[in-house]
Amino acid sequence: MASQNEVLFAKDSVYIHINVQDTKDKDAHIAGRVYLMKKPEGNFIEWKAEECLSHDIQNDEWDVIGSVGFRNDRDSECVSMNAKMDARRKYNISFDVLDLKSFKRNAPNHSWAYIIFILKDGTTFPALHFHNGGSKALLKELETFIHIRRSPNDQRLFIVHDHDPEMLSKSFNELSIFSDSSSAYVQKFVSEPHKGFPKKFMKDPYTATMGGFSKVTNFLRDNFMAPENLTRPQSEMAEFLHEDIPGMEISNLDEPGFEMVTKTKLPPRPVVKRSEHLELAKWNSFFDSDGTISQVEEVKEIIFRGGVDPAIRSEVWKFLLGFYDWDSTTKKRQEQRKRKVDDYFRMKLQWKTISSEQERRFTLLKERRGLIDKDVMRTDRTHKFFSGDKNPNLQVLYDILMTYCMYNFDLGYVQGMSDILAPILVVMENEVDAFWCFAGAMERVCHNFEMDQNGMKVQLSQIHKLMQVYDPELCAYLESHDSGNFYFCFRWILIMFKREFHFHEIQRLWEVIWTDLPCQNFHLIISLAILDSEKSTLMENKFGFTEILKHINDISLSIPLDDTLCKAEGIFLQLKEFKKLPKAVKEVLGLLPVPVSQSMENSVFIGSASNTDVKSQDSASRVDTPQLMGGISSSSSISVNGSRSSHSLGGKQNSIIDEGSKILT
Amino acid sequence: MASRKKVLLKVIILGDSGVGKTSLMNQYVAKKFSNQYKATIGADFLTKEVMVDDRLVTMQIWDTAGQERFQSLGVAFYRGADGCVLVFDVTMPNTFRSLDSWRDEFLIQASPRDPENFPFVVIGNKIDLENRAVSARRAQGWCHSKGDIPYFETSAKEAINVEQAFQAVAKNAMAQESDVELCSDFPDPIKLKDDQAKPRENCAC
Repeated sequence: MASQNEVLFAKDSVYIHINVQDTKDKDAHIAGRVYLMKKPEGNFIEWKAEECLSHDIQNDEWDVIGSVGFRNDRDSECVSMNAKMDARRKYNISFDVLDLKSFKRNAPNHSWAYIIFILKDGTTFPALHFHNGGSKALLKELETFIHIRRSPNDQRLFIVHDHDPEMLSKSFNELSIFSDSSSAYVQKFVSEPHKGFPKKFMKDPYTATMGGFSKVTNFLRDNFMAPENLTRPQSEMAEFLHEDIPGMEISNLDEPGFEMVTKTKLPPRPVVKRSEHLELAKWNSFFDSDGTISQVEEVKEIIFRGGVDPAIRSEVWKFLLGFYDWDSTTKKRQEQRKRKVDDYFRMKLQWKTISSEQERRFTLLKERRGLIDKDVMRTDRTHKFFSGDKNPNLQVLYDILMTYCMYNFDLGYVQGMSDILAPILVVMENEVDAFWCFAGAMERVCHNFEMDQNGMKVQLSQIHKLMQVYDPELCAYLESHDSGNFYFCFRWILIMFKREFHFHEIQRLWEVIWTDLPCQNFHLIISLAILDSEKSTLMENKFGFTEILKHINDISLSIPLDDTLCKAEGIFLQLKEFKKLPKAVKEVLGLLPVPVSQSMENSVFIGSASNTDVKSQDSASRVDTPQLMGGISSSSSISVNGSRSSHSLGGKQNSIIDEGSKILT
Repeated sequence: MASRKKVLLKVIILGDSGVGKTSLMNQYVAKKFSNQYKATIGADFLTKEVMVDDRLVTMQIWDTAGQERFQSLGVAFYRGADGCVLVFDVTMPNTFRSLDSWRDEFLIQASPRDPENFPFVVIGNKIDLENRAVSARRAQGWCHSKGDIPYFETSAKEAINVEQAFQAVAKNAMAQESDVELCSDFPDPIKLKDDQAKPRENCAC
């Protein structure tokens, strides 16, 4: 097979960067070679990792034909050569140039040029960095096959013009509508009974003929007006989305023919800058003689602006996540910690001491155990903290999640929770601390996981509200492309962008978000900021529902964190200064005073533990860690770390959480 | 080269959490298996071009989260599906028992034109594992009772039978497609015709 392929262009030293920050990591950049290749089935752009090149050529594995799929699963660490090669191979790229929809090329002055290819179905490949030049030469070669136009709105974006005369004439022939005999169309189908057409024609010649004409209309429209080859018919997507997501508020553009684009005149976006992270010396300077933090707001401001030095993260996060109260003294913190240790092990004993006999009659717990079992095995296994078979940290992950089931039995375990726990456990390196910090982090997002998914629906519609004001043009575009429900942001919101950023970045992002600056819904504005950066790509490629979703999924791990944070803060300030900001948006941004009546009780979740039939047992026969024994406390009060009551979503959200507490699966 | 006019088949993979939906999709599309897939959150799809009966077909294979509560949003992706792959884990009987509700829910939400003959395929995955708990016979029995749904036993890990299972759903979906292709392209004229035909008959009186 390989012999049939003709290489039209090849360039070495083309890299995929999988770890942007850690330049010392030799696996951070994967070297490879990019090709433009003529194959029997078409012209392909391919990229292969160097490690795979010699091997694959020998094995004649050139043709991963047609699989234009690519999946984000990028960080990796491997043991054996073979595994390493497998890991490398997953980055391999191969696609037909006719599937190319657009690309972004960035050629900064002092750095390597890179190209990001985007396919018609929205598939977005990781950036190819040309360390040794060649990006321009590749595009030049490419231009012999496709027409490229630069976006007027985004200098880096190039759109491929669908222009394939061969395809045009062929399709006309296929339709047979312009052939000599006017009856050719009919004859064609009569002579091809397998098409199932003649039956219809005999029964209903009028419809069939009109259908034929409408086919021409469709054809003309598809080829001359909107070159969207693989989109679903509008009728299949248009209305059902909001039918199927009850409770979502979607303002539809009833008349797609009318332009409803109104420009909001927002004040100009102020330039904001990030700063240095919070360091040990600075952190220490905030404590007074009895160990109380003197200027809490200033501490938060520093964290918001620059994050926290990883060296002191485990301490600082305990404050951010309510493990310690911000106004506590050293003495009080010691007490708090002791009580939390006791409480944790008491709850851990609750599930640890359930016999298999009991569990047979406790389906709910058994099901949750099964889910946790599965998810622990597939949570951040590429991170060295969790990698390798029989890694003891997997057990800790498991124990914390099981104990959380006991702590918040009403909610139980829902997929995505292990994603939230993993970065916290990596920072804390201690089971009890990680548990309580996880519980604190969950307080902020637990409404995302409730049975009715209302928390998610509310937030997605809040993004919609914000977008309507911030960028009506993009908003109208998304609405008219079946994406007004912002479902494509689902993963972002559910687990706070966990899958969208690299591990070290997510820790930074979360500590920024946990400061609740400049408002409690800053994560929604971050969503706006990312979408703002993708606006040209989405709109100029004329992406529809599926392509938007695909593109948004695929930009994961390639979103620049600091730029996004700066942009998000800028957008917040713009909106805040905007005089005609609707009340609903002010509410989302926390610019209205929150009504006092809404005291979001954490007790809702505490109470649940005592509602279960599980009793704390004194017999500790099944406890395998002896030191746990010392920690067992007879106290039944669980101190809840949540000094922060999570009315993060404004008034509306509170009622949802109250309702959610009733749910018991 | 075959005709460049492409046919798009949308196929949905459903089944309980952890039965191997993502692995099957990746094995089929990219011929890769990894122990390190993450639990799917939200939805994603991969596309693959295949030849079905001499036609070039683009399969768009959708993978969604398996946990029940995420379905209320996941159903948005069912509509317009041309085929559906129901997956269970042969070592976990409860995932097999869930097939009924996955199938029912799909038919309700997707409301296909001809639910009786909608192209389903059932996959019993993970046959590479030793602790099998659902026999092929039992699975086949269920498939038979649901209108002879084709049944495949696969291992996404060892790449056993995966190709065949997806090829089957593509083939069956194409068979359906060619029946309805012409009317599905423009359903409106048909309705219009019905409306117009009646008054015309009346006029003749």
